[in-house]
Amino acid sequence: MLKSKKIVVLGHFGVGKTSLIRRFVTDTFSDNYTVTIGVHITKKVVEISVDKTMSLILWDLEGTDDIASIRKAYLLGTHGAVFVFDISRPSTFQHLKEDLRIVTEQMPDIPLMVVGNKSDLAEESELKNRLQENSISVDFLTSAKMGTAVNELFLKLATLLSSDA
Amino acid sequence: MLREYQEQYANTNEQFVFVNKIGVVLESDNVLFKIAKDSSIFDFHLFFESLESLFDGNEEEETKFHCIHIYIDSDLYIVDILAVVKRAGVLLIIKNLTDHYNSYQTITQTRNESVIKTELTVLKNLELQERERFKNSFIQNFSHELRNPLMSIMAISELLADTKMSNEQLQMLKFLKESNMNLRLMLEDTLSIGMIDAGRLEIEKKLFGLQRFFEFIQFTYTAKAKNKGLKFVCSWDGKIPEFVEGDRLRLFQIVTNLLDNALKYTEAGTITFEVQLNQKRANKASVQFRVTDTGLGISLENKEAIFESFFREDASENIKGTGLGLTIAKRLLELMGSKIQLTSELGKGSDFYFDVLFKYPLLSSIEAIPRKNSQEAFIGSLGKEQRKFKILLVEDDEYVQTTLFKILLNTNRFKIDLAYDGALVFQEVVSNNYDLILMDANLPNVDGIQITKLIRDFPFKNIKDIPIIGITANAYQENIDQCLNAGMRKVLIKPFEKEELLKAIAKALK
Ligand SMILES: Nc1nc2c(ncn2[C@@H]2O[C@H](COP(=O)(O)OP(=O)(O)OP(=O)(O)O)[C@@H](O)[C@H]2O)c(=O)[nH]1
Ligand SMILES: [Mg+2]
Repeated sequence: MLKSKKIVVLGHFGVGKTSLIRRFVTDTFSDNYTVTIGVHITKKVVEISVDKTMSLILWDLEGTDDIASIRKAYLLGTHGAVFVFDISRPSTFQHLKEDLRIVTEQMPDIPLMVVGNKSDLAEESELKNRLQENSISVDFLTSAKMGTAVNELFLKLATLLSSDA
Repeated sequence: MLREYQEQYANTNEQFVFVNKIGVVLESDNVLFKIAKDSSIFDFHLFFESLESLFDGNEEEETKFHCIHIYIDSDLYIVDILAVVKRAGVLLIIKNLTDHYNSYQTITQTRNESVIKTELTVLKNLELQERERFKNSFIQNFSHELRNPLMSIMAISELLADTKMSNEQLQMLKFLKESNMNLRLMLEDTLSIGMIDAGRLEIEKKLFGLQRFFEFIQFTYTAKAKNKGLKFVCSWDGKIPEFVEGDRLRLFQIVTNLLDNALKYTEAGTITFEVQLNQKRANKASVQFRVTDTGLGISLENKEAIFESFFREDASENIKGTGLGLTIAKRLLELMGSKIQLTSELGKGSDFYFDVLFKYPLLSSIEAIPRKNSQEAFIGSLGKEQRKFKILLVEDDEYVQTTLFKILLNTNRFKIDLAYDGALVFQEVVSNNYDLILMDANLPNVDGIQITKLIRDFPFKNIKDIPIIGITANAYQENIDQCLNAGMRKVLIKPFEKEELLKAIAKALK
């Protein structure tokens, strides 16, 4: 039986939430920025193991610089969450700890992936330094543009969700 | 009757759907979408698939979802959905707000884009500043270290010049000296940036003739441009006050750096220098200075970078200069509370301009400055004696030479000899009876300060006491003190005005 899981993707605006989902679902990318308002919902079926598939319902939320202001209704019934920041814009990770605290408070007991996106915009070593300076640890450094670590991210989350169920 | 009207004007924006607790559609008014009875609402759209958990809620529990994007047959609806739990199922009220949300999207788009753009611009500027600071401190230290070895190279080149050498060797020595000079100029520029950075440079507020300043530039650069086969077009706005309060020397540095830069990067066409009045208010005048060229141009992405030290749009070797001119101009303008503006197109040319706010004296105080009759006043001050005074001009810069010649010969009171090279000065001084020497303090070989010292140490009184007036472009107090200590009567700082020169000469000849 096909299990479906709701995943919300959230973070500040312009960090690449829509682009990550787009890369994952249709394997495409655009340099143009179209602001998401409210929520867009898409689905992708993933194969977790040979005979096991899972349907991910991806909620691409409107970005906000105030994570506390995310509408609670969007988060109802969520199975997994992805918090995305933009490694090239400090304002999107300056208050990461506080942002993550708010997210886990509103959705306790679900797997949460912390993602630094746009990894193509910095050298790897420089990036690591930057994160270390801000004492930030991430689950994935992705690039929606280059496709780096995007599938891995969602697959990892799906795997976590399948062992949960 | 009323029922008919109700149907006609009923809300066409809102659809009511009622489903049972496992999501089967019991009833739908299909105002917006066709949702078949007995179908599963979960199949209608992905949104509802994640709603399951809500269905077990308490009776009358309401949940509102805003701004949900729903595609039906490739038509986009942006809707709000209210879900209310009832005893027998769940009531869903779907409200179509597509138009409303579309305009909200446009606003948010503009806002987000501008916030991000601002952040990235600030970041980029910080990065540039940081890089510039690092580079400058490095260069400062480095230049300082370079000074001593350079001094020895220069001194040894001098010694070498006195030895027996073949023509070929002399030629090589000439190149060596030229390179030394360039290196020295570069060090001076670098150190003057250091002065600005360290806040050791102060902007003066002294009355000076802005129009004279303009004429001086016009005169000098017409010749320079001609040398390179370029046209030099100047314009002066007659509404600008003739006299203003400001720092003439710094203004001169800024304008000449821009002009030199234009000359450097223009191979054909025209260089323009315009001075325009923006506005006059009370006793302040805002004046715009503009330098345009038909040269190489600067690409958009380098618009900021060209003001960084040692940056070059064109990395080719044959462009001379220190690469610091624009940086100095920019910093000096910052000190004056102004900013350099640039528009340019690659391959077409560049247009630099900046505004300076000058205080200017109201009419009565201008009267106090002797202008019109300065020449007569000067000639008068030389006394009844009608003989011509003999002046030796020691100056290697031909533009300054020409300017001085013009001014001095106009008075019809002087005979002027010229020496280019410090080494030749003694011969001239010994075999002529000069009344006065005008000497550049920064001559290439033996510099003016050294020559002055040597003359003052001369055993013959008629030579030893010849008044010497120094000319320099280096306005640092220590340089001026050096000149005066060596025995110069007075030091004129380039660019100076005719009055200043004539006054100094008259005083020295008394
Ligand atoms: N270089 C680079 N640019 C990216 C990457 N991902 C996204 N972008 C760009 O960043 C901008 C914003 O991307 P979106 O995916 O729309 O960002 P978002 O988080 O969905 O933004 P909101 O919907 O406003 O919250 C777009 O111009 C993308 O092209 C990436 O990995 N690398
Ligand atoms: Mg988006």
